[in-house]
Amino acid sequence: MSHSEPITIKAPDDESLQLPDSLAKLALPLLAGGVLVLLIGWGLGASAVEGIRYAMLAYLSAFMFCCTISLGSLFFVIIQHLTRAGWSATVRRTTELLANNVKLLAIMFLPILAAVWVAHLTHADSETSTMYQWQTAEFDAMGVAKAKQLYLNPWFFTVRAIFCFGSWILLARFFCGLSRLQDQTGEVKITERMQFWSGPGLIVFCLTASIAAFDWIMSLAPMWFSTMFGVYIFAGSILAAHATATALVYWFQSHGKVRDEFTVEHYHDMAKLIFGFIVFWAYISFSQYLLIWYANIPEETEWFFFRQSHGWATVSILLILAHWLLPFLALMSRTLRRRPGWVVGWALYILVMHFIDLFWAIMPQATHTLGPAGGGLGIVSVILCAVGMLALYMGCFLKQASEVPLIPARDPRLVESIGFENI
Amino acid sequence: MKDRTMAVNKEKTNLKGVTAEFDSVDTLMAACRRVRDAGYLKTDAFTPFPVHGIDKALGIKPTVLPWISFAGGLTGCTIALAMEIWMNGINYQYIISGKPMISLPAFIPVAFELTILLAAFGSFFGMLALNKLPRFSNPIFTNPRFDRSTDDRFFLYVDAEDGRYDHAGVRTLLSDCGSEYVEDVIEDDSSNLIPKPVFYVLTALAIVALVPPIILAKMRVTTSGTPRFHIFYDMDFSPAKEAQTKTTLFSDGRSMRPDVPGTVARGQLNYGLDFNTGIDMEALSIIDPQRADQLVSLLQAPDDGEPAAEEKPAKEAPPAEEKPAEEKPAEEKPADDKPADEKPAEEKPADDKPADEKPADEKPAEEMKAEEKPAAEEKPAAETKPVEEAKPAEEMKADAAPAVVAEEAKAAVEEVAAAADATPWLTANPLEETAANMKRGQMQFNIYCAVCHGRDGSGSGLVALRAQKILAATWVPPTRLYNEDLNSKDYPDGKLFNTITHGIRKMPGYGAQITAQDRWAIVAYVRALQLSRNADSLGLESVPAPRRAELKKLQADVQQQLEEEAKKAADAAAAADAKKSAEPAA
Repeated sequence: MSHSEPITIKAPDDESLQLPDSLAKLALPLLAGGVLVLLIGWGLGASAVEGIRYAMLAYLSAFMFCCTISLGSLFFVIIQHLTRAGWSATVRRTTELLANNVKLLAIMFLPILAAVWVAHLTHADSETSTMYQWQTAEFDAMGVAKAKQLYLNPWFFTVRAIFCFGSWILLARFFCGLSRLQDQTGEVKITERMQFWSGPGLIVFCLTASIAAFDWIMSLAPMWFSTMFGVYIFAGSILAAHATATALVYWFQSHGKVRDEFTVEHYHDMAKLIFGFIVFWAYISFSQYLLIWYANIPEETEWFFFRQSHGWATVSILLILAHWLLPFLALMSRTLRRRPGWVVGWALYILVMHFIDLFWAIMPQATHTLGPAGGGLGIVSVILCAVGMLALYMGCFLKQASEVPLIPARDPRLVESIGFENI
Repeated sequence: MKDRTMAVNKEKTNLKGVTAEFDSVDTLMAACRRVRDAGYLKTDAFTPFPVHGIDKALGIKPTVLPWISFAGGLTGCTIALAMEIWMNGINYQYIISGKPMISLPAFIPVAFELTILLAAFGSFFGMLALNKLPRFSNPIFTNPRFDRSTDDRFFLYVDAEDGRYDHAGVRTLLSDCGSEYVEDVIEDDSSNLIPKPVFYVLTALAIVALVPPIILAKMRVTTSGTPRFHIFYDMDFSPAKEAQTKTTLFSDGRSMRPDVPGTVARGQLNYGLDFNTGIDMEALSIIDPQRADQLVSLLQAPDDGEPAAEEKPAKEAPPAEEKPAEEKPAEEKPADDKPADEKPAEEKPADDKPADEKPADEKPAEEMKAEEKPAAEEKPAAETKPVEEAKPAEEMKADAAPAVVAEEAKAAVEEVAAAADATPWLTANPLEETAANMKRGQMQFNIYCAVCHGRDGSGSGLVALRAQKILAATWVPPTRLYNEDLNSKDYPDGKLFNTITHGIRKMPGYGAQITAQDRWAIVAYVRALQLSRNADSLGLESVPAPRRAELKKLQADVQQQLEEEAKKAADAAAAADAKKSAEPAA
């Protein structure tokens, strides 16, 4: 509204709003290569290191990395509608596509489900267990096992997983589909409809995201519990979503697309949110730690105690310094936040840190040795799994992105978004 | 108003600047850019809502406010950490929840809060300072049209102090930008003084406001017979019950809860039977199994008693709500009965003792009579009292306890008396002989024993002196603790311990007041007192080896000195004799 030059809204089929061919062509190789690398990584973990359980947890780390990006993106879409945000309209399409990727993740979850059922049907003990250990004799021997197994059993686990993925796919399809419908009709009513459903959608999202965090990561240590854990994983995922969206938009722009629609103001805002969620992550992680550390109850401290011993202590310290302190100080600078190249550099850095965070939460459960899991070869297998899964994920994203405009081209708030300026 | 503006306009003395009114954001923004491009720096815009991008349009430099906030945040963080480390880690060391004194995780919440607080202060007060606020008045308010800047109009202001300011030029420029109302801002020339009535009212209010604090201050320094008026109750009327009072809250009627079975209260750690009786129980069980059993059951009795007391009321509890009041006395009986049962049992050893000690005490007393007259005076009293005391005690026993117990006790007394003092007393103090224990013994001795025995154990305590002064008829003077018959050979440590525990003659037992550990510490201290008085008889052996040479030298010196003095005296006497013998001769 206060822009010096008049803002022109391009038609949805405008050339500059389409995914560049060079990127669209990458989709298939990424899909194929991703599967290959993932298989190699999994095989390496299973054969060379600690057995199938190790490989499954490496797979889970990689899976959760992509899953948190999609969940964070879904949250981003919902919260923009809930707050009726204008500034973010141009960024929204990227996050809608990322959220829509949960379809792929639902398929990628099948191996995890398989591992759970194999362990159940073969009555695996802690040595031969393929993934979660809430069915083993060791856990049974502990007092609370009976109560916990009402929740932690293959049947209920499967039902919850179906509920989670069902909700996410529905939510993603709803917001993504209506947004695409609006590309054609440009109706304001569609926006109003999305706004109406964003409230209930958020409630479902919070419930399912907590279930996912509890079920898929926290129950790796079946005796341990932290009511904060869902929020902790959520904090990481919203951070990862912002970082991924920023990096992707920069990628599009470097190929000459959406240059007018995505300005330095948007980078500034995304960087502000990344900065904010870095602090949020630190706040939540520390709160979780502080309560457990202070109360000092053995069944609660066990999880952190393991991560404070031997090699894991180094990773814990690294997380404090590199996941919080360093980016906190860097992104505090307004000058930096207004330089897209720098912002994207930090966004990619945050993504790496987010993976280390998940690695730190998941992998210590893989081995019963106190060193970082699996030694050098183990780490290679974890990295291969992650790279493979991410390639698969990006392949799926590019495939979808090649079919739609890169911004919600007829969103009623598009003018406001493009002309938006930070005070 | 307009007329006045014009009038002042001619003088141009109080001119502050020029405002221009616009009716849309876009015209304002365009005007801002033109004014900025014309090179004016001291400008400002007033709008009813925040307008994005207006800073750039006006050419305003980024504010330094973030740096002030940052500095505030850093200060807050530093203050919080320094405060916590200093207070909890250094100045007032206090272990909380078993964490280290300087425990960073516990400090972070406070550091975080203070960081936020001071960063917010920095932002808020920094903003006020940078905007030169608060200001009660601004010349710009003299324009009545300016009120609409909070409603639907947009104002651009150019300050007269701007370097490039040219009054006519600015007015033309602003008119060109499309402003219908370009007006001068002139200094408000009304008086700065507070109106008289307002001033008086405020002064009066200020004086009245001083009254309550003055009254409070007076109340703080004066005393009053009436109870104080409680605005805040604090803990003055605590609903807590006092010891030994009744309550309806618990079914057994006791306000103080008995210990949970198995509780070991501080200072009541059980060090074993020997430690608590001063007797070698193993040896005693061979010589006198009956008494050993008795002692063992005595020491264990309180533990067995409690659960039994608790069980009874539990059965009675269910009946109707009215009953608790009636039940109280009934319930208390079991509670009362127990101690009553126990009392005679506890007294037994105390009663035994006089019987035990009669022979022991009499023998040295006879020997001493010849030596010391004052000591001899004590003895008749010492002889008669135990006999007197033993009888009523036995009678009491017969009243309180069943006949069987009385008979048993009688038998025990007789037996023990017959065996004289064959009790296998512990001869060594089970406490380690450390300076700390000695100090503890001294402290406890000075608290409990010195009132009668005197701080030096000579029997010259204040109570004893007073009794002598008023010639109290029933008073038994306390024993001198360094009498030779009380030395460790004749009066073993265990026996001394037992005496402190159960008393002797008129001296009451202190077992209930002083813990076993402290009683042993007192025994150690009494031995030290004896040593300090009887050093001669023990010789240099009682002194630690390294200091013996020193003492020998000192002894030799004193000896020499005494000899010299004796020689002098002998010389003088010889001289005097010589004189005397010479005088009569003369």
